[in-house]
Amino acid sequence: MSRVELLTPEGLRIDGRRPAELRKITSTTSVLSQADGSAYLEHGNTKVLAAVYGPREARRRAQVLHDRAILNVEFNVAPFSTGERRRRTKNDKRLLEMASFVKQTFEPVVITSLYARSQIDIYLQIIQHDGGTLQACINAATMALIDAGIAMTEYVCACTAGWVESEAAIDLNHIEESSDTSEVTIAMLPKSGKITLMQMESRLHVDKLEEVFTLAGEGCKQIHEVIDKTIRERAEDLAKKMQ
Amino acid sequence: MPSLISPAERDYILKGIECNIRADGRQRPDYREVTLETGVVSQTSGSARVRIAGGTDVLVSVKAEIGPVLVDPETGDGADKGQIICSVECAPSASQQFEGRGADELNNELTQMMSRFLSHSGPAASSFLSTTSSSSSSSTAASTTAKTTSGAGGINLSKLCIIPGQQCWILYVDALVLDYGGNLMDAIFMGTRAAIYDTRIPKTEVQDLGDGQFEFEVLDDAEDTEEVAGREDMPLCVTLNKIGARHIVDASPLEELCTEAKLVVAVNRSGELCGLQKGHEGGIEPSLLLEMIQSGKTMGQSLIKQLDASIKKEAESDLAKRQRGEPVHKLGFFAQ
Repeated sequence: MSRVELLTPEGLRIDGRRPAELRKITSTTSVLSQADGSAYLEHGNTKVLAAVYGPREARRRAQVLHDRAILNVEFNVAPFSTGERRRRTKNDKRLLEMASFVKQTFEPVVITSLYARSQIDIYLQIIQHDGGTLQACINAATMALIDAGIAMTEYVCACTAGWVESEAAIDLNHIEESSDTSEVTIAMLPKSGKITLMQMESRLHVDKLEEVFTLAGEGCKQIHEVIDKTIRERAEDLAKKMQ
Repeated sequence: MPSLISPAERDYILKGIECNIRADGRQRPDYREVTLETGVVSQTSGSARVRIAGGTDVLVSVKAEIGPVLVDPETGDGADKGQIICSVECAPSASQQFEGRGADELNNELTQMMSRFLSHSGPAASSFLSTTSSSSSSSTAASTTAKTTSGAGGINLSKLCIIPGQQCWILYVDALVLDYGGNLMDAIFMGTRAAIYDTRIPKTEVQDLGDGQFEFEVLDDAEDTEEVAGREDMPLCVTLNKIGARHIVDASPLEELCTEAKLVVAVNRSGELCGLQKGHEGGIEPSLLLEMIQSGKTMGQSLIKQLDASIKKEAESDLAKRQRGEPVHKLGFFAQ
């Protein structure tokens, strides 16, 4: 396979961005009528829909926890979301793994002790895939949880960064992701600066890790600003309608 | 999707329908407002999103891929035909009832119905009709006047064939139900019609190498594409719900709970019946059945007219924008 040139001599990336530049993020909340909370988020061409149901009665009695709520995350990829059409079953191991990442990310943030003996469901639907699905899903889930009015200690914002050829780059797209670049996804609580998720799948020199890591952290803070703006706009809009 | 309804609520809906005023102010034969947008998913050959004002939200995508032809081993049919493969999936986000495996049965029902209505081949469908036309509740019936080249589904499958007996285009029609607000089937079919209208299939060049050997090349010029032949003759569905002694169209979730019997009528633009399906546990009197089919037919035809006009309008405004060099923005989920 011929290697794609990911960085031009001028230092621009394949889609014309600079290394530390995020793709355009657009988002909105309350898009679904049945769900208790929902959000739709676009990171460039990656499009994700998140829906939250709950807190509600747990489906399986055996799972009920007497002192807190259980989080349930389901991941769904539309068959037409990728370049090649592919149907995935519900038991796809990769999807189950992604779901458990999202679950672990939110468990320390959602104040589950407030909703004892209940279940909170987060359904994630990928409509279009262009790299960075995990970060998009976490960001969308944060917005949907807020939209559902579920108590959380803080926002959770996720961002990816990687080492593209000779430089650290943020928010990798599908072409960059699939051409053997090492990629780190982190989820951060932007106010306290804590990391709730960190995931890396390929090789990266330890000296470069810090730079990539800082860049992803910066990205999380930027994403937080964008998400927060949308949430506030939607809340103001609601407040206006109530008057 | 609520699963229970109180007797008081049921009574309210029932009496309202009797007086021709429904809970949301509509009359019996009124549809809710439909929002339609095509070309929403860029990785597909064609796509559309349909939203019915009460909440139903369906995303339909068409992907054209090349695959081997499917030949019926008994009749030898299909060697010179392309294929349409339909699938409907209800996302768990659409309704409380769809969590876990809750949507499997509904997915299967909708997928089967859609495949039957869309990918029927002409002669097979007509012969099927002649054997089952005596039973009024036959699951599928096709118009006898349907041409042999395009079956009840309308789409000209022969045009999708690349090399007879070997390769053809396969149209994968995937409908994704994102939100549930009643009347799924009609929304899915509206979305499918719009998505097929949006679909462009690349042109192919076939070379004869002699000895019955063929080779083909797919032209990757974005301008050099074809529309799906016979798309105007695709059917649209109208679901009629019998509540009390009356019937209504475009039922809301609560009205669907009061429904005794449901009749899906698939009709094309010339008013030919392309399929019928009776659902739910209640029965329908033969006289009412005929009346329902008749009103389904007229409503379907006017729906097709409105839908085609709105698809055409959108396509024209997109084209005008492209010619002026302006970017075409699709609203997608930002259209509320």
